[in-house]
Amino acid sequence: MTIFRIGLGAACALAVGGAVAALVGSGTVLSLLTQAVVYAVFASGVGLLLKQNGMVSFGHALYFGVSGYAMGIALELGWMPAELAVVATLAAVAVSAFVVGLVIVRVPGVAFSMMTLAIGQMFYLTASRSRGLTGGADGMNVNWPATLFGVPQSLLHQPAVLFLVCWCAMVLVVLGLGLLLRGRFGSVTEAVRDNEERARFIGVRTLLPRAAIYALSATIAALAGMLSVLNTGFISPEALHWSVSGVALMMVVVGGYKALWGPPLGAIVYFLFKDVLGDWASHWMAIFGVALITVIVFSPTGLAGALQRLRRGRPAASAPATRPASAH
Amino acid sequence: MNDYVLQAEDVAIHYGGVKALDGVSLTLARGQIRGLIGPNGAGKSTVIDAITGRRRLTRGSVHLGGQDVTTLGVVERRARGLSRSFQRTSIFGQMRVRRQVELAAHSMNPQGCVADAEAVLQELELLPRADDVAEDLGYGEQRRLDLALALVGRPTVLLLDEPMAGLSVKESLDLARHLKALTQRWNVSVLLVEHDMDVVFGISDAVTVFELGRVIASGEPAAVRADPRVREAYLGSAA
Amino acid sequence: MLTINLFNGLVYGALLIVMCSGLALIYGLRRVVNFAHGSLYMLGAYLGYSIALQSNFWVALVAAPAVMALFGVLLDRYGFRLLQDRDPLTVVLVTFGLLLVIEDFVQTVWGKSNLTVDAPAALARSVDFFGTPLPAYRIGVIVVGALVALGLTAWLRGSKAGLFVRAASTDPTTTAMQGVNTDALSAGVVGLGTALAGLAGVVAAPFLSLSPAMSSDVIIDSFVVVVVGGLGSLAGAFIAAMVLGMVQALGAVYLPALSAVLPFVIMVAVLIWKPAGFAGSRT
Repeated sequence: MTIFRIGLGAACALAVGGAVAALVGSGTVLSLLTQAVVYAVFASGVGLLLKQNGMVSFGHALYFGVSGYAMGIALELGWMPAELAVVATLAAVAVSAFVVGLVIVRVPGVAFSMMTLAIGQMFYLTASRSRGLTGGADGMNVNWPATLFGVPQSLLHQPAVLFLVCWCAMVLVVLGLGLLLRGRFGSVTEAVRDNEERARFIGVRTLLPRAAIYALSATIAALAGMLSVLNTGFISPEALHWSVSGVALMMVVVGGYKALWGPPLGAIVYFLFKDVLGDWASHWMAIFGVALITVIVFSPTGLAGALQRLRRGRPAASAPATRPASAH
Repeated sequence: MNDYVLQAEDVAIHYGGVKALDGVSLTLARGQIRGLIGPNGAGKSTVIDAITGRRRLTRGSVHLGGQDVTTLGVVERRARGLSRSFQRTSIFGQMRVRRQVELAAHSMNPQGCVADAEAVLQELELLPRADDVAEDLGYGEQRRLDLALALVGRPTVLLLDEPMAGLSVKESLDLARHLKALTQRWNVSVLLVEHDMDVVFGISDAVTVFELGRVIASGEPAAVRADPRVREAYLGSAA
Repeated sequence: MLTINLFNGLVYGALLIVMCSGLALIYGLRRVVNFAHGSLYMLGAYLGYSIALQSNFWVALVAAPAVMALFGVLLDRYGFRLLQDRDPLTVVLVTFGLLLVIEDFVQTVWGKSNLTVDAPAALARSVDFFGTPLPAYRIGVIVVGALVALGLTAWLRGSKAGLFVRAASTDPTTTAMQGVNTDALSAGVVGLGTALAGLAGVVAAPFLSLSPAMSSDVIIDSFVVVVVGGLGSLAGAFIAAMVLGMVQALGAVYLPALSAVLPFVIMVAVLIWKPAGFAGSRT
């Protein structure tokens, strides 16, 4: 896609967000939409890892929750102004995820996925059992100051404004990724994903780019976590649970992992469905489990893939180009 | 020092009691095409692995343009102008053709990678498919793409591992002639592993014969062809 | 005190052996890491609970794994077999979907609160071990673990079916070409794998309580065992299971704050050194 088309897409998306914020009157609806958008950002992070690295993470809730906890703790202890805490948290996640990435992206295929599940759950258990400042299993409040980046709380927490802030963040994330992945970094990571050995033979170093994508995906998840605690003002160990990672993964698969707008689409569909489910909502796990299986079996590239195929009249979709379980 | 672009000396690869290579030496002069022939399992692909750094040597050394690269990895050797193609097509299935060739060109020639890619795509008649996803290409086109990834950016030394695999007789000879002309024009020195005798003896300036991990003959094509040891081991009466 | 803790380590290690051998077998035959394995364990435990309510523990010990075996055969026939040409991670995602369905099913049928299962009367006592009283039931668990490890090893090495399984694990195509019915074999082995998960569940129930969280608790440790031991390696799994069992038991007592993180630390440490686990990854 040309830069022009990407920019145009982003501008349209922003316009749509603005329209929704202006026209939707109900606070509850806006609140629901905001939640959906927060998860859209989260799913984008998980989706990036699958799209560019061909890796499935069952543990990105770690970054989603840790960022919320970091903000909660920083604001509680008053170490630094909130604005700095936001930037510092995201930077810290990026750096530590990169270091973690250097180790774990070398783990082949499914073993990587297993590790992510294990790591995520371990942090969940640690958070549940810890006492003191973080409130253990009960969670803690995240007390935002009176103004944030110059915007007063009273304004920021109006449903329409909060929605718009989250929506803009989502559009910027997708836009940013679109621009970044068009270039060399995108080529390098796609090559490593498709054929790691040949990538080396054409002169591409394979470890650092993959770790970088992992770190970037983690940072995006952390951003979503930040938006989440901005929205709710509260963080608990539940945010670190594997089911949260699982939901994000579902959104990626159902929405479609190949298109950058696939995971956000998946998030919106998920929340719409949950709303529609009504009384059946207590069985959401089974329903979404079935949906996940159905999509994987019949349309591996998800809704986005199906829509793109309809537009172009292309034949069968292809499954994710994941790294094989063997090293050569 | 010597003028060879590539020199392998007493290269050995032993593992678990198997001597895949047992003291192989060969040289490649600038602009030369050297064919490597021998029965299956003789060590031809292994020597390519050894030279590119894909496998570690038990013994011996590899020099590129006079410099010792024995301890260097695959990526470093590529940076010094060593490139290879693969017997079993090894491309980037979900990337578009042009995009992957440009990426391959980048490591050789960062500034001119777009132009280099365009040039090699044209030479290998892949321009019509340049914007397609690699896995959508036909077998022959994918073979040429594999070759393009190796050839782009004008490597100093090019190692071709059975580039004609799966091609018809006519396609093989056409490709062979084309490759010879291209490598002459671009001043690329070539080590060519191939089973097709017509191709090897048709375009090579020199031929090295392998058997059981050793070199049993080396020299000009005509001389090698006539060598009785070679006939007995490999060519039989068909030569 | 140390005796008890080491003993508990053995008990948990034995449980992990039963769990992880099921995982390893399924992976060996179908190249699938069954993310739903923990849920199958949980399902086995809950089924065992219900069956035990109607009859007794011993019946449940046999019946629950049998039901799980049947489930496994169906899973292989209508799941893994139909998806065998797909990318492994695709199938993993399918097993993840299955995990969600089973979790929901268990919560719907049995509710979300913790349930307890009593150890059978015959084993509800202590055995004296050099002055330390050890619960007889837990000794039983160790016995089960040992039987599974020895039994599987003997079966794989000694029997014809075991030979076919080893062959099919290494090279399914050639094995099929030799006339071995690899589909029937896979169904059988997957059934065995799911039965083992169910067995682990039934056996675990009296000393770990039944709760909807039990599947995630055990799957983490199972994954650590399998990744550290090397995907597809039974021997690696056995050793890693005992090591992890010990670490968990001792860690819970001596380093409680870190106990949740210890397996993760071990896993990362091993993977830095050997990215494909001790025994290496089978492809």
